[in-house]
Amino acid sequence: MTEQHTHTLGMHPPAPQVDEVSDYEILEIAVRELAIEHGLFTAEDHRRFTEWAERIGPTGGSRLIAKAWTDPAFKKRVMDNATEACKEIGIDWSEPTGFGTPSDYMNLRVLENTPKLHHVIVCTLCSCYPRPLLGMSPEWYRSTNYRRRLVRWPREVLAELGLIVPPDVEVRVEDSNQKCRFMVMPMRPEGTDNWSEEQLAEIVTRDCMIGVAMPKAGRTEDIRRPVHKARRPPQPATVQ
Amino acid sequence: MNAKSDGDYARVRLLEEIRSQGKEWEVLAPLYGVTNPDPPWKTSLVGICESLSDSGALPSLERRHAEDELKDSVYGEVPSPESDLLALVHILLSRSLVTEDDLANRMRAVRARVEAV
Repeated sequence: MTEQHTHTLGMHPPAPQVDEVSDYEILEIAVRELAIEHGLFTAEDHRRFTEWAERIGPTGGSRLIAKAWTDPAFKKRVMDNATEACKEIGIDWSEPTGFGTPSDYMNLRVLENTPKLHHVIVCTLCSCYPRPLLGMSPEWYRSTNYRRRLVRWPREVLAELGLIVPPDVEVRVEDSNQKCRFMVMPMRPEGTDNWSEEQLAEIVTRDCMIGVAMPKAGRTEDIRRPVHKARRPPQPATVQ
Repeated sequence: MNAKSDGDYARVRLLEEIRSQGKEWEVLAPLYGVTNPDPPWKTSLVGICESLSDSGALPSLERRHAEDELKDSVYGEVPSPESDLLALVHILLSRSLVTEDDLANRMRAVRARVEAV
């Protein structure tokens, strides 16, 4: 090792890590090994889907919206055929199998907000979500409480999440399903006229694309939201 | 399954033991100064769920419905993704796709391997 390398390593100590292996981690390995041995799936299946899961995240959606804000022709292609337009930013909904995943139907519609219309997405059935563009859904989005209440009291739930929608703006709740995924195209905020796509992408956070937050100059992070339980649990039907 | 009654749901002894240790990532990570919000096994768990659905062994929609029931009852106090993992294993056990004894034995073997050096 050269002196320079030694010096460099000295300046950058290794990041901290959890120095114990929990039984959750052991359980995940054990159940995966048994499932493969029992022929429920193959190790190759698992590798392919896990690598896909590592690749996805909300930055894809952020880049899509930022590009649409700055390129009217691209925006039209997004509104006409969003799944196809995603390929222009390097996101192919057919990955990783050629037919997408078992949980991601290859049909996306982007819902454009206007000064008089605000969209917010939910999946009342389960937790359908545009994962190739936004990554894994947050826990609160999957909760029964959010799914049940948003469709009943959208303004109130949005207000709880910190978004007050003026009374003269219509709130439209779009229910995702197994045949179509939805994503919100928020309005470009004021004060961003000369921004680059990269700058704009930074303020288009996951929550803005779900519709529970608005992009704003200087706002680049979503807050961690609480997960409320449903008072009436689902009726037991499939679990013994 | 060794189970005890909890309303309409059966609890699984092995999973109850794991839960009772309180070693969820949100507890462990700050103890070691780690800021990553997700444990390293989370994407592998996604890989398991997608693989099970792709092969037809456990379709995603069936898993999600059963997961809803379990996470709003038996595993209601457990954060995600640990609750996702417990629910998935609970479903596999309830469908006899794996057995609790096999799972317990395999966990001992895996831990011995992981801690062998």
